[in-house]
Amino acid sequence: MIPEIRSYIRSLDWVLLLLMFVIPTIGLTVLYSASYDPDLERRFLFWTLNSSLVFRQLLYCAAGTFVMFLAAALPARFPYRFSYALYVVLLGLLVVVLISGTITNGSRRWLSLGPVNLQPSELMKIGVILALARYLTKVPPKQRVYGFSELIVPTLIFVIPMAIILRQPDLGTALTVGAIGASMILFVGVKRWVLISSFLTGLGGVLVAWFWFLHPYQKLRVTTLFDPESDPHGSGYQIIQSKIAVGSGEIFGKGYLEGSQTRLEFVPERTTDFIFCVLAEEWGFVGSVVVLALYLFLLARILQNVARSKDYFGALVGVGVVALVFFHTFVNLGMVVGFLPVVGLPLPLLSYGGSSMLTTFFALGIVLAVTSQRSAFSR
Amino acid sequence: MYSTYEKMPITLPPRVVIALSCIIAAFFLLAARLWYLQAIRGESFAERSKNNRQKTVFVPPARGVIRDRHGVPLAKNRPAFNVEMYLHETPDVDQTIDTIAELLGEPAQEYRERLQKQGGPRFRPRILLRDASRTEVERILAHRWYLPGVFINHYPIRWYEHGHLASHVLGHIREIGKSDLDKPEFKGYYQPGDLIGKSGLELQWELYLQGRRGLNRFVVNAHSVKIRDLPEQVPAIPGNILELTLDKDVQAAADTALQGEWGAVVAMVPKTGEILALSSAPNFDPNIFTGELSPDQWSEMINGREKILNNRAVQEVYPPGSVFKAFLGAAGLEEGLITPSTTEYCPGYHKVGNATFRCHKRSGHGNVNLEQALTVSCDVYFYVLGARLGIDRIHEYATRFGFGTPTGLDLVHEAPGLIPSKAWKKRRFAGTEESRWYPGETPSVAIGQGATSVTPMQLAVALSALVNGGKVMRPYLVKAMYSSDGQIVTERGEPKIVGEVGIREQYLQRVQEDLIEVVHGARGTARRARLPEEWEIKAAGKTGTSQVVALSAKTDKREHEHHALYAGYAPAKDPEILVAAIVEHGGSGGLAAAPVARQVMEAYFRKFHGKVHPDAPVPLVSEGNQQEGDGVEGGGPP
Repeated sequence: MIPEIRSYIRSLDWVLLLLMFVIPTIGLTVLYSASYDPDLERRFLFWTLNSSLVFRQLLYCAAGTFVMFLAAALPARFPYRFSYALYVVLLGLLVVVLISGTITNGSRRWLSLGPVNLQPSELMKIGVILALARYLTKVPPKQRVYGFSELIVPTLIFVIPMAIILRQPDLGTALTVGAIGASMILFVGVKRWVLISSFLTGLGGVLVAWFWFLHPYQKLRVTTLFDPESDPHGSGYQIIQSKIAVGSGEIFGKGYLEGSQTRLEFVPERTTDFIFCVLAEEWGFVGSVVVLALYLFLLARILQNVARSKDYFGALVGVGVVALVFFHTFVNLGMVVGFLPVVGLPLPLLSYGGSSMLTTFFALGIVLAVTSQRSAFSR
Repeated sequence: MYSTYEKMPITLPPRVVIALSCIIAAFFLLAARLWYLQAIRGESFAERSKNNRQKTVFVPPARGVIRDRHGVPLAKNRPAFNVEMYLHETPDVDQTIDTIAELLGEPAQEYRERLQKQGGPRFRPRILLRDASRTEVERILAHRWYLPGVFINHYPIRWYEHGHLASHVLGHIREIGKSDLDKPEFKGYYQPGDLIGKSGLELQWELYLQGRRGLNRFVVNAHSVKIRDLPEQVPAIPGNILELTLDKDVQAAADTALQGEWGAVVAMVPKTGEILALSSAPNFDPNIFTGELSPDQWSEMINGREKILNNRAVQEVYPPGSVFKAFLGAAGLEEGLITPSTTEYCPGYHKVGNATFRCHKRSGHGNVNLEQALTVSCDVYFYVLGARLGIDRIHEYATRFGFGTPTGLDLVHEAPGLIPSKAWKKRRFAGTEESRWYPGETPSVAIGQGATSVTPMQLAVALSALVNGGKVMRPYLVKAMYSSDGQIVTERGEPKIVGEVGIREQYLQRVQEDLIEVVHGARGTARRARLPEEWEIKAAGKTGTSQVVALSAKTDKREHEHHALYAGYAPAKDPEILVAAIVEHGGSGGLAAAPVARQVMEAYFRKFHGKVHPDAPVPLVSEGNQQEGDGVEGGGPP
């Protein structure tokens, strides 16, 4: 038992783990500021209700770390073997959610299982990664890259859950699932005309969605992006306040706990989707770029593991997770700095929220499991 | 089953490099955007973030106090208690309003409407009830546990302590209108809802009385909830204090004397021009303008037949009637056209060409000299004297006495009045037959009729000149202005001579002697102006009864009655107080106006010389506390 644990510890990617420690720690620090209430501090002790948000996030981090190490300890073949089963179960849950989920903020996303609230769409991101990786592993391109007919099944694998999630409606998660699927297929490679035609199809799809499927509130988010000042107290409010928060941080920031935009609640969702505002306002350009660099290191490190991998399935899972983390990060930050529309995507490892936290840790754990050197000989 | 590792269908490193390149490019894009927001436009965003949280509200200043010559406040401020609601502290606005409505016994709908009318940021309290009464305040306070977010705040509000007293001098204040808001000198200082002086001294001294509003700067959060005050606060500075020449008790006597009439009284110190009392009737209670005034009430004030807001002492002109004769007599003496012993025969009429001018005594006064002519107010004597002087000399002397131009009183909207002359006719009727002066027009002017018109204020100033050695004084109301703490005098009213009548002292004295006879002579027309005999104070003066319509058209209707005028002073030697009074349609000057002047003078001597009225033990203070609104303005001729 001891040698096995030792080999397990040795097999772990400690650089990745360090990043997985540093980024959430920064997140907790920022969250403390975002949820800071000077009145409460006077009334309660520091560690009690004062920072209940921080405390809960800390619990999520602990749980996430546990899940990550657990996932990393799985035999490499385990994710492979159960990937389809997981996918089917999650697909079923998505349908159940659509029928009888709990409605919050006008969409059905949650499944109440006694004391635990489950968000199947969150887990579906991983389900799609695993299922698609397995399928692509099983069916490699006949020639050097995939042709059109070979792509029907893998496309369905991610488009079906995407469509269901879109019905909830949860545009952000649906797009994430789409981005993951597309990235993984593209990573393997497709024929040029497939690329061109899917690009055109995508463009057409966007136009069709714009005119027939998008909700007015979703369209408003896009139009507002180009002219937020036209409705500064309505649809443009969040974008404007977010930009003011980020911009007013200037080079070195206003200082920790000094961010007036966020402290005085001008920026909505400052503990969740817009937590980067707090960071940018209080830590300035310098702090923002440092955190940006940490994300880049995280993604680069996973990709490095992918490049070194002897395991095709593991490499594809790694790519999927990179796509997941990257898409979330890029869309979230793009929204915060005001060049992407406001779609509710949290910033991985920084935003407050158990689902996102657990999903990210779990995904990283699987990456650790399938890309570690151990996987090559412990199958 | 899991055996794919043996054959790797693709080469990983080049793909990874491409993927990583894409990621780096995307992150570079984000960093560039951050640089743009934080470094290039950072300063402007920092400014906007500051504007987001730092708010300023005005702190209304207390309006400057106006007090009489002895420091008795006439217009001051009292705290008004407003019932206000802070929306962000009221969890259930509807229910709270229902509770308040129940407590105060008013329909809840009214409060809802008031709430709806008031927009603006949430940190600004909504006023549910302005100027609540004591019981209302107590009721709210007693139930405050059930009224979260409801507070009683107090602000200074203008308070005219004596109600109607001196209302036309003090004037009134009212919510600022759009036209005033747009005035360049007011730009950026006044804001909608501010009260601004609209008449009287309140208007004249607006910029000094207004005070400086203070600034309350504070930090708000996104929900407009006030978080804390900023260190930079600007306290409000109250307006300057105006000390008037008015005496409250003399003023009260003047107001009382006119009660129920339409007319005006001016009481001044003839040597200096200080105004002791200035009264116009009907008057009003300026306090009503600070509250809510319905459009109907407002239009009644402005357009009503009574012209309540009109200050008849300075804004209205009347034919001076026989009062004018005193000045004409002095002019005649100076010009050497008459001597005190010159007599004229009054047959009861006077002919100029074909026209016949009647004396008010149809049977005639017989032979009269100047003294007799003034005492009995013989018209024929002055028809003759007027004809000798000629219209231009009449105009010349009248102008020297200050008629025909505003007196320069420190009160707005003063009317100039008119003394006819050849030049005036030429101007007025240019190009018509009427532009020539006909000798037949002079007699009317000589007895203060025709186109001759003067303000009561001019009458007081002119008579002052006649009794103070020929000096035309500029009348004034403001004795001094003090800074708001009462320490520094920023302005001081001084006696100012604006002209000399150019009549030798001996002639002026001659006319003064004759004016004593008007009051104290057995046949004098102003016998009712006599002060109580026990006081041993002689009075002097001249009555006037000026025609409103042609005698032939006159009926018994009150509006056809003559205006009653009287201008007099006391003591006859070295006068301290001079009063000009007019009672519109009062009938005869001696009967209607002289008693009004006497009452004012009596009040003066009671106060300043401790005289006691022999008939009735009248209390010294007789201001008649009119705050309860005893309907003074409701009077007027039947």
